Amino acid sequence: MSKKAFRPDVDAPTWRGGHSPYDIIKEGTIALVVVGVLTVLLSVFFGSPDEAAVTVKKWANANPIDFATTAANELNGTSLTAGYGPPYNHAAIGQKLGPLSLAKWAGVRIPINPVSDFVIKPLESMPSQPVLQQNLAMWSSASSSTQSGWVTDYVKAVPKMTFVNGHVVVPTTNAGPVSVLVDNLTQMARSGALDQALVTGGGYYTTDYTKPLLFLADGTYLAGLAANQHLTGTQWGMMNETGQYPGQAWLWLYTFWYQIRPYSASTNADVLVWGTMMALSAVLLFLPLIPGLRAIPRKVKVYRLIWREHYQQ
Amino acid sequence: MSWLGSIIPLDHLGHYIHWHVILISVGNLVVIGLMVVTFIAALLLPFPGRGGRKASK
Repeated sequence: MSKKAFRPDVDAPTWRGGHSPYDIIKEGTIALVVVGVLTVLLSVFFGSPDEAAVTVKKWANANPIDFATTAANELNGTSLTAGYGPPYNHAAIGQKLGPLSLAKWAGVRIPINPVSDFVIKPLESMPSQPVLQQNLAMWSSASSSTQSGWVTDYVKAVPKMTFVNGHVVVPTTNAGPVSVLVDNLTQMARSGALDQALVTGGGYYTTDYTKPLLFLADGTYLAGLAANQHLTGTQWGMMNETGQYPGQAWLWLYTFWYQIRPYSASTNADVLVWGTMMALSAVLLFLPLIPGLRAIPRKVKVYRLIWREHYQQ
Repeated sequence: MSWLGSIIPLDHLGHYIHWHVILISVGNLVVIGLMVVTFIAALLLPFPGRGGRKASK
């Protein structure tokens, strides 16, 4: 009978020495107790991250001009959400990996029309507002080209926007109902009613914050808060936490790619980083089958350090 | 009980170290340093209870 040759980086010799008893239950219990005590002590001394949620109400009260400008951009179709593409709309192809239009193939699964979902429908839910109802009726009965003309006129005057006595003031000449709509939406946002209107769209008990989050992300307020806490993509934000707490250090490699070219300069950075991480994960998964790489532990000889008593004998 | 969490409060703005493309919080750096120290200790410290164990064939 022929004997197969011994391959040092794949095969392991049969152990012919002695054996020691090992109590895994005891070891596991000790580890559980130590980690449990450490967790309690650390939480007692340091607390835990507890940043209050950012709401549309907070945003509109902290920076009404930014909110009203974003609302105008939603009506104008120039917001980030309006031009994002899948899964929200068909305005762009979305993330693609070379010739593979992955986001487009996944389709528009969360359809969002910023004009209707962020502005018109919430305003329509406001009760007992005759002036607002008249302006909403004027908007609804106008043709899309007329609506576009009004919004264009309004957006041209946005740089001169002021906030006076709790109202948004924009010196427009032919903006139709847009001034009233944006001002009322700002009032609604400052009262907290817009948060309610955007969140409760999915039912009584809903945790779907997609719409308020997208609206918030279209403005500069949320981005400013995130940058202040080092949470943006260009600040390795994926591995950071609010305040001085340590964050998700294990995500260092995932967020690293966003800091260097070509990822940092690509509009498809998300899918490029995902693809890179999938390729590296595959290398890790199939490491025992990759000649050269699988020999690293044998050549580095860290095992001789761990089992030094054995190798000294 | 809320006073407990404020013995050493960590909820004010963090400190960050910026070196070329690297931007890391002091909190993360401390945790990574502790992990490296733990790893080195696990390599170098002798196995506990070594004397009490008897090898058996």
